Amino acid sequence: MSTRERVLGVDRRRLLGREVPLPPRGVRWAISVIGFLVFWWAAVQFGFLNFGLFVSPIATLTALVGYLAGEPVAGGTQSIYVHAAYSTYRVVAGVGLAALTAIPLGLVIGISAKAGAGIDWDSYLYPGLESLRPIPPVAWVPASILLFPIVPVLGFSVNTAVLFVVFIGAFFPILVNTVEGVRNLDDEFRRAAQSLGASNRQVFRHVIFPAALPSILTGLSLGIGLGWITVVAAEIIAGNYGLGYITYQAYRLLATDVIAVGMVVIGTLGYASSAFVARLADYATPWSDIETTG
Amino acid sequence: MSERKQTTDDRNENSQRTTGEYDGLRNGRSGHETGTEGRREREGGDGRARATGDALVEINELRKIYDPDGAHVTAVEDLDLDIGDNEFVTVLGPSGCGKSTLMECIAGYLEPTEGEVLVNGDPVAGPDPSRGVVFQSNRLFPWKTIGQNARFGPQMRNAVDDDRIQQLLDDTGLTGFEDSYPHELSGGMQQRAELVRLLANDPDIMLMDEPFSGLDAMTKELMQEMLLDIWEEEDRTVLFITHDVAEAIFLADRVVVMTARPGQIKDVIDVDIGRPRDSSVLTSEAFNEYQERASDLIHDEAERAMEQKQQETQEA
Repeated sequence: MSTRERVLGVDRRRLLGREVPLPPRGVRWAISVIGFLVFWWAAVQFGFLNFGLFVSPIATLTALVGYLAGEPVAGGTQSIYVHAAYSTYRVVAGVGLAALTAIPLGLVIGISAKAGAGIDWDSYLYPGLESLRPIPPVAWVPASILLFPIVPVLGFSVNTAVLFVVFIGAFFPILVNTVEGVRNLDDEFRRAAQSLGASNRQVFRHVIFPAALPSILTGLSLGIGLGWITVVAAEIIAGNYGLGYITYQAYRLLATDVIAVGMVVIGTLGYASSAFVARLADYATPWSDIETTG
Repeated sequence: MSERKQTTDDRNENSQRTTGEYDGLRNGRSGHETGTEGRREREGGDGRARATGDALVEINELRKIYDPDGAHVTAVEDLDLDIGDNEFVTVLGPSGCGKSTLMECIAGYLEPTEGEVLVNGDPVAGPDPSRGVVFQSNRLFPWKTIGQNARFGPQMRNAVDDDRIQQLLDDTGLTGFEDSYPHELSGGMQQRAELVRLLANDPDIMLMDEPFSGLDAMTKELMQEMLLDIWEEEDRTVLFITHDVAEAIFLADRVVVMTARPGQIKDVIDVDIGRPRDSSVLTSEAFNEYQERASDLIHDEAERAMEQKQQETQEA
């Protein structure tokens, strides 16, 4: 029995008064996953709601193997890799642009919100941006298609509408977390650095930026998550390529295996990018998770 | 007194030796080295907390009002205080009496509403590495290792002296923890590391705002002794803020007792206990007399401060 179970006063090994050995973690994990797959299979098999129209887990796996081998998807000529690459590039470019603008802007706003700053950038910039923040990023899709054209760049056609929607989705979480990261820093850290002889530039580099970094990375992680949400929504409406596009095309063609494969691939890539940012955060902030406020 | 004078002379010698090494930091200091003899006398009659004419820190009619257009809280009023070169002054007062405000004005974080704070004869115009600060809460940079924290000040000027930093880490028992992050250390070790960071920067004046108040009694006593050891060895001026009567007397050449808000100087106690001091001083008769006197002075003020606080809570 583990310490945790003893602390809680629960002996989980007793079931209906009988001793039941606790299975290893891997087995418990497998039971959970297999349980879900069985549920899916049964819903399709017995026609729960409209599930009878959908593919079973096994057919999905077969289709996934086929598409991963390079079969063209959803009546088109491109493999799933091309579509995955489009979506990934849009997330990376959109979130990247958001980070490049939101982080510096957030630092400027956060620093000027503190006492003793020169120009009060805070009150010039933040209210306007704040008024846009409540709009859900997906609601930007129709306006974006109108406002942002498809632009040819180096022989590729770049759908700037999709890029903009991803950008706007990632922008606010990164901005808000950067501002908060700076604002939450106790002023005494800045004072300590100044009394040790640090110039304003050095205070920024050695105190404000590292103090805000964990919060910035939290914003980036949220931004990437929203990036995947928004890219799929935007591609459904505005794309000729991408995982959102083929998933929706598959719906129109009733190719349910592609719908399921599209969902699996989107989920996997979303998970992988979150894990990547989490790793990056661990590496960049080894002091991690400690109070620098108050 | 003769014992006291002896150690003072020792330290002057010491300072002359080190002056050459830290020339860049210490210009203007030599003019003050002669004042040690008379600095502990107060100017007769007017109640002004004076050392001598050539004080290192000179505070004239300081008044600090927070939020003058709104809440209008007078933190410090008509405060005159001189601190001599190499003097160890403690400021003893009830909580909320403006002790920290006084320190923040000397550090250059706050501008006085009225009056002036002069250091080496010049008005304070912002923070400066010659006036090092230790805060009540530990303010080591959590994102830097102990080693990086220790060399922070010198690094800002591209003047890291590795031997000096190693010596300080050795003296404070922190060798081997250079690569640890602050949160991996105990409270006492963190406080020592912050002291190292300050000393590595070689300030003329150390401003310490209740630095040991978060430590347990044993650790606190050890830290006080360590601080005195360091102060005896190197020549430095210390302004140490505390609400602990025993701590104030144990450390100080002079104890400045403050009133409840608005903070004014109630009295100044010259502590004539020989140096070097260790914890055995705490049980001596002289110490007890000082302690009794200081406790009497502070008692009424602490009561007043408490009443003020109660009143504010009721109003809020």
